[in-house]
Amino acid sequence: MKALRTLFVSAAAVGLLVTAAQAQDKTIKIGALFPMSGPGSYFGAQDKQGVELALEQLNKAGVNGYKFVVQYEDSSCSPLPATQAAKRLIEQFKPDVIIGEECSDATLAVMPVVEQAKVPLLNAGSSSIKVTEPGNPWTFRIMPNEVMQGINLAENASKRMKAETAVLLFENTNAGIGNAQVFKENFTKAGGKVLAEIGFGRDVNDFTAIATRVAGLGKVDVIPTYTLEGQGLKITQALAQAGVTKGGGGNAIQIGTIWLPFGFEAKAGKAALGYIRIVQFDPTDTRDVAKNFASAFKAKYNADPTHLNAHAYDQVMLIADVVKRGGKDAQSIRDGLAATKGYSGVTGSVEFDKTNQNTKMDTIHYMETKPDMSWTSLKWN
Amino acid sequence: MTTTIVLQQAINGVVLGSLYVLVALGLTLIYGVLVQINFAHADFVTLGAFAAYFFMHLVGGGYILSIAVAFVVGAALGWLINAAIFTPLRHKGNELLPLIATIGVSVMMQNVMLAWFGPIPYAFETQYSNEVIRFAGIFVSWQSVIIIIVSILTIALLYAFMKFTFLGKALRAVAQDRETAGLMGINPNYLIMLTFVIASALAGMGGAMLAPVLVLTPFAGTSVIVKAFAIVIIGGFGNVEGTILAGLIVGLIESYTTQYLDPGLIDIVVFALLLVMLAIKPTGLISERREENV
Repeated sequence: MKALRTLFVSAAAVGLLVTAAQAQDKTIKIGALFPMSGPGSYFGAQDKQGVELALEQLNKAGVNGYKFVVQYEDSSCSPLPATQAAKRLIEQFKPDVIIGEECSDATLAVMPVVEQAKVPLLNAGSSSIKVTEPGNPWTFRIMPNEVMQGINLAENASKRMKAETAVLLFENTNAGIGNAQVFKENFTKAGGKVLAEIGFGRDVNDFTAIATRVAGLGKVDVIPTYTLEGQGLKITQALAQAGVTKGGGGNAIQIGTIWLPFGFEAKAGKAALGYIRIVQFDPTDTRDVAKNFASAFKAKYNADPTHLNAHAYDQVMLIADVVKRGGKDAQSIRDGLAATKGYSGVTGSVEFDKTNQNTKMDTIHYMETKPDMSWTSLKWN
Repeated sequence: MTTTIVLQQAINGVVLGSLYVLVALGLTLIYGVLVQINFAHADFVTLGAFAAYFFMHLVGGGYILSIAVAFVVGAALGWLINAAIFTPLRHKGNELLPLIATIGVSVMMQNVMLAWFGPIPYAFETQYSNEVIRFAGIFVSWQSVIIIIVSILTIALLYAFMKFTFLGKALRAVAQDRETAGLMGINPNYLIMLTFVIASALAGMGGAMLAPVLVLTPFAGTSVIVKAFAIVIIGGFGNVEGTILAGLIVGLIESYTTQYLDPGLIDIVVFALLLVMLAIKPTGLISERREENV
């Protein structure tokens, strides 16, 4: 009898061990659609750093018995490769949730694919209003959209910067055109005048001709600029060479929404003097979550984090928060994301409206480039 | 003001056109001698740009010297790739193989550079980038002045080489008729190698000139190569003079389209011109008998 009891106890112990081991084997599969090639590939490189840091922290102990694994796919900041990458992810990796893309055109192309597969897409880098309007049950965005940013930027240009005239420079993409149009509507509503709207393709390298055109438009107060980092650098330098902006001895100030990473001003040099732009992450943020992220990032990579590092980290951490609240598969993670309330991430708070757009304005941070090419946080929001 | 703008855009167009010419000359040389399109040419441009960048930032060299370094790196790589890949394929007797190989070399070079240099754009600043000459409302950066001077010197030297040296004449002979040139004692393989070396050196140098202007990433060259192909077609395949003229015209079209129409229309205007040329004058801007190319 004693032997039988021992056998039962042993069997129960083994059973518990197996269950515990199985619990530890449970994984949440995250598909990552990041641009790893082409002009937007700097997004992917920095996103990956943020994701890897989050994974390292989360997988030390797991969340509710779940570990997190990520499969990266190169979506190239472009609709066709992004769609193919999303299909590859869904068919082969079978993710519980997908994060990405950065570029609006690519995200918009991916949305029908994830909707059909019923896999939630958590986006942190695409600003086009079309991503969340009229609303897609499977797509969530923690980044402030172009309307939130554009209204805020136009108001600040008018009221704080006392700007009366503007020239819009933007890449001819959904995000570029959309951002420019929102600014135009709200700036003119506030009494400002838009002197020119100049759109260009991503293959334009030399912006001297565009800067010459801007220089010929008379008094320009602000130049809202919407481009990726590479073209942004060249535009800023060309405008300074043409004597249009502060950096070149002129009066105009470049302004912008969330497009450029930290370090831009150091690369652009003195041409970037006075540039005011919205960033998604404020390294001077005093909240613990932001301070801890910055120090952990510095410890891992020996570099200061950019907003791209930060928002990629936030994406994974928000998914972990949903898993903590019971998320375990695509459907429950989608429902958990929709139910998010008062989540505080590195880039700001998160609470989704009925279109799955994050409504929190504390994700909008302003910074200004100083004469020594460092920057200062303006605390406008 | 209007005159100033017209003049300013003319200067902008000539500077941009000069850069395009530097890139397109190598393409047209290779086509002239080999009747082959080199799809990897853009990547020689990119590699030249990185060679100049690292020469300045790691070795601490000056910008002017970095142009020479990019020239040499381009030449060396051109020789290596021709010897290791293109020549063996050419000896197989199938003209298509080296053409396809240029696509393979292009993809390979892009990905090697992506692995080595990473995807984040490099800021290639020289002491001339932000130094601007201003007079009568016109502005020209010293970088632009250097671009024009180096382009003029390069074109003049290339022209002199082709017209007045034995090797240049031999190259033209191979371009006219490879087999007959061989019967006259000229070694076509040596001259094909020389063509690759010169074209790659020009591409490398073009990269060093372009680097402060364009966005320096492992894909930088691809952003200008499509225009360079268009310029070679508009100027006439294998026609050096036509390429120079077409390059300057495309540069000017870009500037004036930006000023008076919309920069978003640049490609439409340039490629419409390409189609018109193909339709009405497929031999290019400067007519020349195919046998006399290069």
